[in-house]
Amino acid sequence: MSARVSRKTFIKQLAMLAGGMSLSRLRAAMAFAEEGAFNPRPLLTGRSTFSGVRASAPARWSHELISRTSAPARLSPSPVRADDDALWSEPFAYFMGDGPIMAFTDAEIAHLRRFFAEGGVLFVDDAVPETGEFTRDAKRELARVLPDAAPIPIGTEHVVFRSFYFIRRPYGRVEGPPKLEAIIRGGNAQVIFSSHDIAGALAQSATGLSSVPVVPGGEIQRERAVRLAVNIAMYVLCSNYKDDQVHAPFLMRRRAVDSP
Amino acid sequence: MVRSFTLSSDLGHPLAYAALVLALASLVLLVFELQRRRGAGILVALTGLVATALLTLAVLRPASVFSRGSVVGPRVVLLADRSRSIDLPGDQGSRRETLVHAVEQVKKAAGKARLRVLGFGEGAPLPWDPTAPSASADAAPAGHSDLGAALMSLASRAEERPASIVVLSDGRLDRPSESMPGQAVIEELRGLRVPVHVVSLASKSPPDASIRAVRAAGAAVAHQPLPLTIQIGCDGGLACEDLTVSARELIDGGPPALLASGVAHLEHGDATVELSITLDRAGPRIVEVAIQAPDGDAIPDNDRRLIAFDVARDRVRVLHVAGRPTYDVRALRMWLKSDASVDVVTFFILRTHTDDVKASEEDLALIPFPVDELFSEHLPSFDAVVLQDFNAAPYNLLRHLPALARYVEHGGGLIMVGGPDSFAGGHYAGTRLADVLPVALDQGPTEGAFDLASFVPAYTDVARAAPVLRPLRGFNGDALPEMVGANRVGDARPGSFVLWTHPKIKTSTGAPMPLLALGEKGDGRSIALAIDGTYRLSYSSLGSETAGRAHAALWDALLGWLMRDPRYEPAQIELLSQCMAGVPLSLRVRPLPGSEGVLNVEVARLERRDVVVRKQDRVLKGGELATVDVGKLEPGGYTARVWVGTGPSTRRDFACERGGDEWADSRPDEARLRAIANATGGEFLRASEAGQLPLPPATEVAAERRVEPVMPPWAWTLLAAAALGVHWIARRKTGLA
Repeated sequence: MSARVSRKTFIKQLAMLAGGMSLSRLRAAMAFAEEGAFNPRPLLTGRSTFSGVRASAPARWSHELISRTSAPARLSPSPVRADDDALWSEPFAYFMGDGPIMAFTDAEIAHLRRFFAEGGVLFVDDAVPETGEFTRDAKRELARVLPDAAPIPIGTEHVVFRSFYFIRRPYGRVEGPPKLEAIIRGGNAQVIFSSHDIAGALAQSATGLSSVPVVPGGEIQRERAVRLAVNIAMYVLCSNYKDDQVHAPFLMRRRAVDSP
Repeated sequence: MVRSFTLSSDLGHPLAYAALVLALASLVLLVFELQRRRGAGILVALTGLVATALLTLAVLRPASVFSRGSVVGPRVVLLADRSRSIDLPGDQGSRRETLVHAVEQVKKAAGKARLRVLGFGEGAPLPWDPTAPSASADAAPAGHSDLGAALMSLASRAEERPASIVVLSDGRLDRPSESMPGQAVIEELRGLRVPVHVVSLASKSPPDASIRAVRAAGAAVAHQPLPLTIQIGCDGGLACEDLTVSARELIDGGPPALLASGVAHLEHGDATVELSITLDRAGPRIVEVAIQAPDGDAIPDNDRRLIAFDVARDRVRVLHVAGRPTYDVRALRMWLKSDASVDVVTFFILRTHTDDVKASEEDLALIPFPVDELFSEHLPSFDAVVLQDFNAAPYNLLRHLPALARYVEHGGGLIMVGGPDSFAGGHYAGTRLADVLPVALDQGPTEGAFDLASFVPAYTDVARAAPVLRPLRGFNGDALPEMVGANRVGDARPGSFVLWTHPKIKTSTGAPMPLLALGEKGDGRSIALAIDGTYRLSYSSLGSETAGRAHAALWDALLGWLMRDPRYEPAQIELLSQCMAGVPLSLRVRPLPGSEGVLNVEVARLERRDVVVRKQDRVLKGGELATVDVGKLEPGGYTARVWVGTGPSTRRDFACERGGDEWADSRPDEARLRAIANATGGEFLRASEAGQLPLPPATEVAAERRVEPVMPPWAWTLLAAAALGVHWIARRKTGLA
């Protein structure tokens, strides 16, 4: 468990203490709450390591999810290697990079195939979308994992754009293309590609300040990037929940009101 | 010994007739000749007559027949109505008493007729003599009066065919129907051309208002309106104008639930009412249709009908409510959504009051949690409710917990899935809902509501025999993935059964703490799953070995058990016959393979939940058949529960009526009986005239027969030749040629 305590956690602790709850129970509650929590595990392939200025992005992602929503999240996500059996222990992995990647090994392909077969979701985030080399190579290698599917653009019609926030277009560290891309299998987006550098927008220094400037929108754009990250996490946890018939009429009305 | 004569058997009838014709022609010619030749003399005539006779006898050669035999009376079959309708009032006393008297009358008047008394009701007629002292023990009253089947059976038997058939009935028959009964009987006799006499057991209708028929338009499907057409009748001089009709569902352990009501406006003693009912629970359900009969009603038992509907389900409607989205919630939702037979409505709490969304409401794709609407207005429309890690306190669910408990007691399904905000941690301890859970909740929300240690759940012995975990064990055997944290719960409630336990934590009584327990409450079922890690059946090294199918196998079985899917029931229960009040009832029980132990049977009244029969049968092994005598029951709705050893129970609901369809219409039907008699050439008689029954004559049957020629053929020939010679001499003497 992380030593960092979010504001929401702090508020919850205060509330529990006010209710007479012991500290031991509080610790127990928090630990129990991490069972099944969202865990943005960085996916490592080849000889890659998880370091650099964006290494804080997964923890920030979890922190924002906890503070903004009811969803629990692991505050210290640990990387998972693509050829490790641990890949199958959770349904989500976060694949980011800033340049060309090596071809997947047979073991990595086999592990990823089983990961997707069990319903896993992979978020592919290009840290340098200006060159697009990472996205290009990731698509090439994932095509070897899932040869029967190809990425397609997804816009506001997809549930990921309304799984928590209404989002009109994706933003990250850069403005990027107006749509995400996804490999849809069985009606679910199992691989989501972003050419917006979400990790760059999320990255924070040890002092809590943003590590990478966001262009051209500044902090407003960073907030939009955080919202997209929250929506992706909610999509992973709830799948197409917001497409249910019981929600659809309400959300359609809301969209109609919001539209100019 | 009786002597008679016959002619030689080597001549056929045509030749014999030809010989006689020739003899007569000869005599005619002789008379004609003598008339023309007057004075020819009597001698010629006599010798001619004798010669012709002897010549004819020489051709025919008569023989003596010596025979010995007896007179056999006609075989007459009496078909006595043994349906329950003969217990209705007749003209004098009950129709059964009239039947006994009529059979006695027929027996007295039978003479040499050989009477065989059979009872007709269902299928082939059975030997049944209503006048015998053991008549009631020989055959229980039949639930039908199928004369057609009895006649067909008689017509197709290889035994001696009856000379006539006598039917004794009140005419209220299932077959032949009111429409052209005579023609139907002729067809059912299949060429057996015998008269069918009928003896009517009643001619007057008793004063009675009744539900004559209840017809459903199509099969009953859960949650879908089912139109009922109810025929009401009133006869026998009873004053009926408007009668209130109601349809209620009998609920296990609770008062009947009113489904629909209406008013029947009777004209000429008949009325038809259309009621639409909706049954929300699948499986065998008992619906009571009743009228409020006026004073003077002679047969109150037919004012109320108990109709058993086997309610099908097109899709299982599940309400899935989760307190926060987790991987466990995700896995369950994805399974629910992937199953085409499940119609799931999901509500996840995505934002709490303490969350800082950093956005205006317009930027949020969230809708308010409609707790009041869901748990009051829409609750009955769901087959099952899944509460997953959901805290009842912050979302105003506490006030709906009594209704949710009643929902379970009235047949709904409930699954409570663990998590920090579940069970005692979700403020459920001490509430009405806690009473319907299969485990006790000892802890309050702030005291030891959960434990954090990692562990691997342990299977119980019951689980190894329970069909509900068989699919999961088919994948993983006894292996389960490691779980993190468990809700602290108390002992399993009586009647519940525990499938998984915590390997270390004990309850206050020292028993291993239940982690997965299944139980019944009233009409419904509930499941307590005190962990939130079943997603690890898919996402773990163990789960990867089964490609995630183990998770689906577990939840498919849990939801199936909740919905009483026969695949997951520990035994099958059948009624050996339709349950009729006052008639011994037997159940046939077949435990599923794998279970072994003492067979326990419990039969309880649905309305009052009082156990009327409790039995322990022999030790049974799975797959072995057992027949359990339940005894005689009073009219009403019942539920039979069966379990083997300490294993899970299964149940079957059924209804018992006093008269059933046979008492629905108490009017005798003499017109139908008369038509049957007329069509077959029989007689229609009232019961008082049974002694005047026209019976066919007796038949003589030979036991010994000997044929001897009167004289040998050569003697006849010699005599004929001599007579012809004398005749020739006489003719010559009188000058004839």
